[in-house]
Amino acid sequence: MPPPTRRTFLQLTGLSAASIAIGVSAPAGADATPARPVPSGAFALGVASGDPRTDGFVLWTRLAPTPLATDGHGGMGRDQVPVQYEVAEDSTFKRVVRRGLAIATPELAHAVHPEVRGLKPDREYFYRFRAGAEISPVGRTKTLPLTGSQFTFATASCQAWYHGYFSAHRDIARRSPDAVFFLGDYIYEYGIVAGDNLWREGVSVGTEHGVEIETLEQYRLRYSLFKTDPDLQAAHAAAPWFLVWDDHEVQNNYGADNSLYGIPPELFVHRRAVAYRAFYENVPVALDSLPHGPDGQLYRRYDVGSLARLHLLDTRQYRDPLPVDETDRVSEKRTIMGAQQEQWLYDGLRTSPAAWNVVAGGVVLTAITDDRTEQWDGYPANRRRVLEAMGQAGTAVMLTGDIHRHVASELKLDFADPGSRTVGVELVCSSVGSNGDGTDTDTYAQDWLQHPYVKLYNARRGYVHSTLTRSELTAEFVNFPYIQADANAEPRVIASFRTSVDDPHLEAL
Amino acid sequence: MTNRPPAITQLRGTGDIGTLTLDWKPVSWATVVDHYAVYVAEPGSTTYTLLGKTVYPHYVHRGLGFTGVTRSYRVVTVDAAGNRSKESAPVAAANKTSVTVSGQPIARVGLYDGKGSELALSPKGYADYPARFPSDVDYTYGTSVPSADWSYLLPGPSDKWAGSKNHTVRFRFDLAAVPEQDLDLALWLIDSHASIPGAALLSVNGTEVGRLAFANGATKGSTIADSTYPGSPLKPSYVEKPLPKALFRTGQNVIELFKDNGSWIAYDAFGVYARR
Repeated sequence: MPPPTRRTFLQLTGLSAASIAIGVSAPAGADATPARPVPSGAFALGVASGDPRTDGFVLWTRLAPTPLATDGHGGMGRDQVPVQYEVAEDSTFKRVVRRGLAIATPELAHAVHPEVRGLKPDREYFYRFRAGAEISPVGRTKTLPLTGSQFTFATASCQAWYHGYFSAHRDIARRSPDAVFFLGDYIYEYGIVAGDNLWREGVSVGTEHGVEIETLEQYRLRYSLFKTDPDLQAAHAAAPWFLVWDDHEVQNNYGADNSLYGIPPELFVHRRAVAYRAFYENVPVALDSLPHGPDGQLYRRYDVGSLARLHLLDTRQYRDPLPVDETDRVSEKRTIMGAQQEQWLYDGLRTSPAAWNVVAGGVVLTAITDDRTEQWDGYPANRRRVLEAMGQAGTAVMLTGDIHRHVASELKLDFADPGSRTVGVELVCSSVGSNGDGTDTDTYAQDWLQHPYVKLYNARRGYVHSTLTRSELTAEFVNFPYIQADANAEPRVIASFRTSVDDPHLEAL
Repeated sequence: MTNRPPAITQLRGTGDIGTLTLDWKPVSWATVVDHYAVYVAEPGSTTYTLLGKTVYPHYVHRGLGFTGVTRSYRVVTVDAAGNRSKESAPVAAANKTSVTVSGQPIARVGLYDGKGSELALSPKGYADYPARFPSDVDYTYGTSVPSADWSYLLPGPSDKWAGSKNHTVRFRFDLAAVPEQDLDLALWLIDSHASIPGAALLSVNGTEVGRLAFANGATKGSTIADSTYPGSPLKPSYVEKPLPKALFRTGQNVIELFKDNGSWIAYDAFGVYARR
């Protein structure tokens, strides 16, 4: 009897195709040698890590030697391909502490999401993958601390690849923070057309990118296009990411199963299913976030020792429709989070042992104008409940994006009452790419700056870098003079604020 | 060994003028679908060609012209791994034949040609509507002139440029005798407003026949007259409706559209047809 091939071996182990298809691990003793050679350049989309814990993290890569193959499979065939990974304490891999194997399958576009556990807290690790003779770039990541004295993080959002270069990611990679929060709009669904919305100079795209994406192959291709950016790959390789999604991962301004563009809910859920699937396949999130049909579990919680509790929200999947009138808008029943997630957040805040509560979401919490119903202004009762819960826990730091502007604001227990208590601050990061070069100010500035609790407004592209200690938060707002011409613009710190944990307001530095 | 995903079931087709809409029962969520590939075979052919891909259990075959043709359709499920199902059972379905093809014209304004350029104020004179048509359009077939007397747009109450009010269009024509069969209205549009095309009340000789709801267009027909050139941004639509013979009389008849909802529609042509 000949020795079993890899395929028959998998069959002999009795593992179902489904259990292998999840790309997290491999059957014990599985052969690490692919059935046929892996095409060169298989790691063209880079490597990533995410969802860190005190003892580990999720690793990610996706084999795609031809990232822009129109079928969304990145130039990989129908084979299952074993992917080895190594985690080391040093960047030269002299002190390897973990080795493992995950099976990349066509079901997940040859993405793997191995979950590494049993590592030491609060320390740097380096990782790389191997598939056949192909070896990936090296990534750097970090576990969370058991106690925690300092935690650095960058926040970024809204990376419309076609509007400009990702200088923000280049600078985030240079700084290698403890973590990166990505706050939604990782891709955009719109058709990309030269002479229309293709503002990134010196690039061209095929007609297959010129239509609004709808099928899984189109969503996969869109992720591939964005992820070919070397600065985005560098930022992923430099730190573990915490990702939340906003609307453009599916369709502009969708909420729950409602499309803004008249697609009936019973049809739209099919679109949401493939969009959530492609999101999972292309980012370093844990297996818990693998969607089932049209449903994906993305809200989740992490503790940075007793320094900070991180609450990652999903303010898209469960939100009520846009209000039909003012009575509806202010209704006590309205929710942007859904009842279950609200209860989860309030429990998490109530039981939080941490000095800080960092809440990351897709859309702005601070009260701005009543007609901004896409953000929390459309859900004031839910906002009041959140602020009350924040007020009974450690100092709140809300992290959001969405608006393509840098904004810093103080979170008032009651925004209508200037004398009410400040329960924390909100740091709204501008976009990485969306809206192109931008200007320092624009016609919307007054809507924001009319409020005494809004301390900064800037309409150029950039990111925010923050440092948390037991006593204070320091936030630096970084922007770039341009992004459309090339990726070489120099970063500028346009504003810095200090916030005391005991008396949270924004003190300009 | 490939695991073929299941094929869809309950494929059905619904014809309209220029379009054929396919619906089916999707496969269960247990199969992660990449898309459904929709195939068509023309009459007399057994060769199916790819028509398009959709993630929805729904597909509209467009651009089918105005003569009904029965085609065969079938659908293949493509799953997340790229595996393809067997073809679904085929369905045969036809787009509708327009009354402009099957009927005998009685009275018309404009040509049914996808263009509105022969009409008053075309292609972009809408701002002059209040001055040119202070009492809206009242058109008498045989006497009035399309290029002077039939506005290329019928405004609605959502149009500030037309006074933010309801608008009426009256179309008068003579009949030598009461018709033996119902007549048909053929109201073709080169375009309409993209989000609020709205609706109009239709009446014949003062009797309400029903409410016409217009399809969403592209909001381009107010400045562009031609929907037929390659890449034209216009989104044409077609309204054809039976008009009961009992409502007509010998001599002059009047058909009225009362636009009391939404924004404008842009005409291709308007006419009344007898059945052959």
